[in-house]
Amino acid sequence: MIRIGNASGFYGDRLSAMREQLEGGHLDVLTGDYLAELTMLILGRDRMKDSSLGYAKTFLRQMEDCLALALDQGVKIVVNAGGLNPEGLARKLDAKVGYVTGDDLKARFPEALTANAYLGAWEIAECLNQGAQVVVTGRVTDASLVVGPAAAHFGWARDDWDRLAGATVAGHVLECGTQATGGNYSFFTEIDATRPGFPIAEIDEDGACLITKHDGTGGAVTVDTVTAQLLYEIGAPEYLGPDVTTHFDTIRLSPDERGVRISGTRGSPPPDTLKVCLNTLGGFKNATTFVLTGLDVDEKAELVKRQLHDAIGEEGLHWTLARTDHADADTEERASALLHVTIKTADLKRAKGFSRAAIELALASYPGFHVTAPPSDGTPFGVYRAAYVHRDEVSAKAVLL
Amino acid sequence: MKRPLGTIAGARSGDKGGDANLGVWVRSEEAYEWLNGFLTTEKLRELLPEAQEVSRYELPNLKALNFVLHGLLGEGVAGSTRFDPQAKALGEWLRSREVEIPEELL
Repeated sequence: MIRIGNASGFYGDRLSAMREQLEGGHLDVLTGDYLAELTMLILGRDRMKDSSLGYAKTFLRQMEDCLALALDQGVKIVVNAGGLNPEGLARKLDAKVGYVTGDDLKARFPEALTANAYLGAWEIAECLNQGAQVVVTGRVTDASLVVGPAAAHFGWARDDWDRLAGATVAGHVLECGTQATGGNYSFFTEIDATRPGFPIAEIDEDGACLITKHDGTGGAVTVDTVTAQLLYEIGAPEYLGPDVTTHFDTIRLSPDERGVRISGTRGSPPPDTLKVCLNTLGGFKNATTFVLTGLDVDEKAELVKRQLHDAIGEEGLHWTLARTDHADADTEERASALLHVTIKTADLKRAKGFSRAAIELALASYPGFHVTAPPSDGTPFGVYRAAYVHRDEVSAKAVLL
Repeated sequence: MKRPLGTIAGARSGDKGGDANLGVWVRSEEAYEWLNGFLTTEKLRELLPEAQEVSRYELPNLKALNFVLHGLLGEGVAGSTRFDPQAKALGEWLRSREVEIPEELL
């Protein structure tokens, strides 16, 4: 059995989770996911400003606090915090560090700000087999952070489909941190969800696992909390990954006194293609929300719309009127509707001009004019799209420093 | 008996680019049998009129259904002008819709 914990479900998750997981009890490996589709865009913009950046800076802070503790306890750290610059992050860590590279496909997609293939688990396994104490990757599938250490520990083969699928399920349960332990959980009133502990998977040689958490931590690990996370961000029951196709309709969950047992998962060979996360700059975005209180809500909305269109034109404006108002209300807030307007435009000047035009209406529009928050200067926004490339076009590499 | 679907069903939703996913699960075999017959693609569109093209998948082993709502989020999280651009609360919206639930399941 190998005991693998998770200490991060996104870039910005609980900073102290790393320490909580290391101090809370025994672990063999501690993993962390820092990369969402949106995060790649944020890191892409960091990298544009400073080419030595492009990784998750919060992980570095966690390592300043906890690396010595992890090394002391013999806990291996496996994270995708490398983002767009795994080597840059790896070189900042004082340990035996391995990093995984080869996911960057910007040369193949030159129009994109970021273009990264979702790599698999085998380069992570290779780093660990060569003795890495810390492994940092760029874009790998979230589940690979768990599959890699399990595959290395048990010496699994590349066609151990059921084992790889079982570990993929464990990885999917862990990848969003406390979403497996009672965070964001529909039946939160039935548990103590004040401060859920981070999840742990105890994976067996056959790929089955027990999902649990350290004793004394909050939240809960039940068939329901685990089901909720299994359903997060999935599509068809054939869950395609770079190393294995995992059949979600074969997963069996059963309650255990320490958590939930997962077994029965079947796997089959993965597709010939790898998914690529592409982010391009879409233009500039700006937004504000007008508050419409009391009578004539539709007419008030109509007036302010007409005025803004008159000032800067209709192009790129998106309006939504939320009728949150109640007639004859006993509080001002309950009497108010919200009119959201967003501008998306290729022209930064127009995105800025939107703010001025909206504010200039302040004494010249509908009765009771005010906004919830003033518009900003306009910020760039990204457009995400997935692409697929043949796996032969991608050469993933494990490097040991 | 008309009750919010969330009286007996849990849900979790999220984003994948411009698509949203919405998983719904229940806690007994009887409830799953009912849910599977009740919550068709058409019914989902009726309960969530903002949904357009919808794919539906059955996961009887998890007593769950998974829906993919294609194109709901436009150009994805960063570019979306939609309220709740990551579809985080789509599931809680569905749970709040009042539907006819057999009394023995309540």
